[in-house]
Amino acid sequence: MALKYAYHPGNIAHSSATEVSQTMDPTARSLGIDLYPMNGATSCGAGIIRQANDLLQVTLNARNFAIAESMGMDIITPCAATAGNLNEDLSRLRRDPLLLEKTNEVLERTTGLTMTGDLGVHHLLHVIVDEIGLDNVSQKVRNRIDFPIAGFYGPNMQQEGACGDDDVFDPQYLEMLIRALGGEPILWESRTQSVGVPGLFSEEATVLRQIASTIGDAKSEGAAMIVSACTLSHTALDVYQGKAGRATGISTNIPVIHLTEMLAFAMGHYNNRLAQLRTRIAVIGD
Amino acid sequence: MSASPMLILFGSESGNSEDLATIAEKKAKSLGLTPSVKGMDEVEVGDLPGFQNILIFCSTWGEGEMPDNAIDLWEAANGDSAPSLSGCNFAVCALGDTSYEFFCQSGKDWDGWFEKQGATRLLDRVDCDVEYDDPAAEFTTNALALIAASGTGGATSLEEEQPGEAAEKTADAPEETAAEADSGDLEGLLSSGDRSLILLFGSQSGNSEGLAAKISKDAKSYGLEGEVHDMDGFDFNSLSGKKRVLIVCSTWGEGEMPDNAEDLWQFSISDSASRLDGVYFGICALGDTSYEFFCQSGKDWDGQFEKLGATRIIERLDCDVDYDSPAAEWILDALPALAAVDSTGHFHEDMVDAIKMYASGASTGAEGEDGFSMPEVKSEPVQASVTVFRYDPETSSTGTDTWLCSLPGHMSVMDVLRTLKTSQDGTLTFRDGSPDDSNTAVSINGRLVLPGLCRLDSVAPMRDGAISLRIEPLPGFEVIRDLAVDPWSLERKRESSKPWMVAATREGAHTPQGVMGTMDPAIATRLHSMRDFCSQNILHSSSDAVPHANGYLGPAVIASTWSRRSDPRTSPSKVEEIDTMLSSSNGIKAETDLASINRQSSVPKAVSESLLDAKNSVLTGDGFNGKHGKHVWWYTWTVKSSGMVNDTVIYRQALGPFALLGNLFSGVTARMVLGFTRTGGNVFNGMLGMVAPPAGIGKMPKQLNSSVDNHHEVVAIFNEMDGRF
Repeated sequence: MALKYAYHPGNIAHSSATEVSQTMDPTARSLGIDLYPMNGATSCGAGIIRQANDLLQVTLNARNFAIAESMGMDIITPCAATAGNLNEDLSRLRRDPLLLEKTNEVLERTTGLTMTGDLGVHHLLHVIVDEIGLDNVSQKVRNRIDFPIAGFYGPNMQQEGACGDDDVFDPQYLEMLIRALGGEPILWESRTQSVGVPGLFSEEATVLRQIASTIGDAKSEGAAMIVSACTLSHTALDVYQGKAGRATGISTNIPVIHLTEMLAFAMGHYNNRLAQLRTRIAVIGD
Repeated sequence: MSASPMLILFGSESGNSEDLATIAEKKAKSLGLTPSVKGMDEVEVGDLPGFQNILIFCSTWGEGEMPDNAIDLWEAANGDSAPSLSGCNFAVCALGDTSYEFFCQSGKDWDGWFEKQGATRLLDRVDCDVEYDDPAAEFTTNALALIAASGTGGATSLEEEQPGEAAEKTADAPEETAAEADSGDLEGLLSSGDRSLILLFGSQSGNSEGLAAKISKDAKSYGLEGEVHDMDGFDFNSLSGKKRVLIVCSTWGEGEMPDNAEDLWQFSISDSASRLDGVYFGICALGDTSYEFFCQSGKDWDGQFEKLGATRIIERLDCDVDYDSPAAEWILDALPALAAVDSTGHFHEDMVDAIKMYASGASTGAEGEDGFSMPEVKSEPVQASVTVFRYDPETSSTGTDTWLCSLPGHMSVMDVLRTLKTSQDGTLTFRDGSPDDSNTAVSINGRLVLPGLCRLDSVAPMRDGAISLRIEPLPGFEVIRDLAVDPWSLERKRESSKPWMVAATREGAHTPQGVMGTMDPAIATRLHSMRDFCSQNILHSSSDAVPHANGYLGPAVIASTWSRRSDPRTSPSKVEEIDTMLSSSNGIKAETDLASINRQSSVPKAVSESLLDAKNSVLTGDGFNGKHGKHVWWYTWTVKSSGMVNDTVIYRQALGPFALLGNLFSGVTARMVLGFTRTGGNVFNGMLGMVAPPAGIGKMPKQLNSSVDNHHEVVAIFNEMDGRF
């Protein structure tokens, strides 16, 4: 029986990370996940709206929760930042009845919706490991992703209560999944660290050092590719890797793909893209 | 050539003295001398006047007793027929163990006897501890040089040495070395002889006095007997007979001594002050960086003690107004060093680390100051793989060491480190201390913790029946060695933030106790919770930006400063100063991602929320100008406009034309446009890419978003919650 989830694609799957939205649908089909779009859902705020007005982000996400509750489903997202931010706000609303009451007042007055907090927010990775099972996943593999792969989690998703049964600081889910897909997981220290995406436009020098340090760590451990569970970090690690390398002198050329791409390729979708990825790893190295 | 006779005489129980005598013989021969080596049981006391030069190597046994082969000679020497030794030169090298009360007593006895018999001392007696090699070698070299220079070192008048004797003695050497090493008893050092520690305080407000009292209390753990003295009325010259002195002194006014210290200071710089040779000292100076002559009194004492010949055993500590933490850390280094000074004034530097271990092991259980004790829940042994980061500053080499061990699950990680140090690798370096000592913090698998408060079986998940720990120093600090980091970079940042209170003049409240300043309890609680982080080092390290942003003050300094900013007692001018600092390039805007701080369980939510408040305040105060403000503003604005993020708008508005141009040449734009070459996706994303390139090409986002369903609800929420957007 298919798993049904209210689907939140994250913040930039519709714009600068279209490959995520393109690969999420076939991946979900192969894994037996029915994705139901959350019509009307907004950005999770990415922790940025919070910097302007904390309660504004909480209220916007309360509306997202209300939409999912009206659908009777938990939320699934392929973006670690979205999973982290939604979980953080949901957790606050659950443990603070006064905040929940006040938020519901605003929500009802402006949208006619209310929320109870009786739902879950899951990252795709946690659904795969905790709900679907890695044995089932490995049976569906059509193309082995047989590279040394560094899995990147980022800090947003790795919060107490937001990362399934995985450890916050020493996670294993991504490594277990990579192994189930035929890859060789690399153990590296930077996999849960921030690459500073919220400060990308304002503190670029620092963020470039964070990006270069993270990629350098993966490469020094022998990774041929980085797979990111976070859409925002994935884009920063991919697009800014050249600039980060030039700014720091660290070798940063390495293919960076998103978790949904790796899954789609393994499940037999977009074989041409997988072939292109193999060429990048074997020949270009970027 | 007719050489004068020379005797090398040894009194030995385990063979060490004999070995030294043999070495001396070889050296003497290399200088052209012709010595005779004899055990004390091989000569009669009446033979001694026949030698012009006598070198004595003698160990001490038991409670200051002669070694077995020396007993008879010593008894004869103290009999009625003791000969005169006028015209004879002698020198004594005494071997002993400072852990015994009668250290080197036999050597001292022979030294005194030869002098009493009229012999001339070639050079001062050398008293050697268990590590005798270097001082004994120096003694031998100096003594033989003097004899060789005088031309009086000659052939023996006794029977010739038996062939093969030296070889037999050398063969015995390893056994005796082991026996001597066994006697190196730490507890003996810490419990024998004079263990007094003189603590002098110069205090105006009472802080120095309180700190001196605390040090005195702590000193007991190191086998020291602290004696706290007010500088006022203290006899300065009595220090010349002491071995260990520690001064805690504040500075007053324009670099002046506190009132109770002025007289002692004047005496110390007068001609009447005694020399302090043989005295080991340390100075803890209290001051305030807002004054020009910061810690001047402490600096004065430091210089004067050195001038009078005392030996500085630890670098002076200059404390700012918040002296608790640095002083506590300094004490952890000062007391072990002072404790390693024995009653004869010899500093056993090699035993300092062992003393630290000894003292830290002395603290037991989880006793609180209120006497409440937490029961220790014991658990079965667990298999643990412990990987520890290693750094050797001498070779600048880094690496890791891994130990596989079975340890009790209830053991703290601090105890694991201690166990590894004592049983596996004595060079393993980490900051030891009480369980809640914030300076002991380390990173375990990326989790920042106080190792004394973490049980082995709960600090990391059990996988395949074992626990795997990766222990590393706190990120964001310079590493001194292995797990020990240098906290002073943070202290300097804290100092630069001028963390002290500058209060506004306030109206006092009329209370039954009189007119006094009061504070609303809710505000007081909030202020407290903002700074209620267990370790400022951990909070500082929790930011992933700190290691990469050179000037960034870091979350610990920001949180403390924001607390001061939120304090209603703070003066308007101080608030303005804090606002300027917080909004500077090294302030809260330098924090690139608060998520890394939020997820550390050691950082309370109230602290991370206060950092968010600080950021919000700064951005609002700046009118959302600058790159940071614009990024936040336009991100929020685009969500209001369509419900979704519009990367293009943020990119254009936050970066501005020059930065966009920069990205064009730095390759960022190219990687976005050519994104399809990496993803394998479409070149054009819809019609937009064809009519308004580069938008919509490769990974370049669209310029316009369609609105989410029921977009009017989003606008209504914005209008309700924040009319600025």
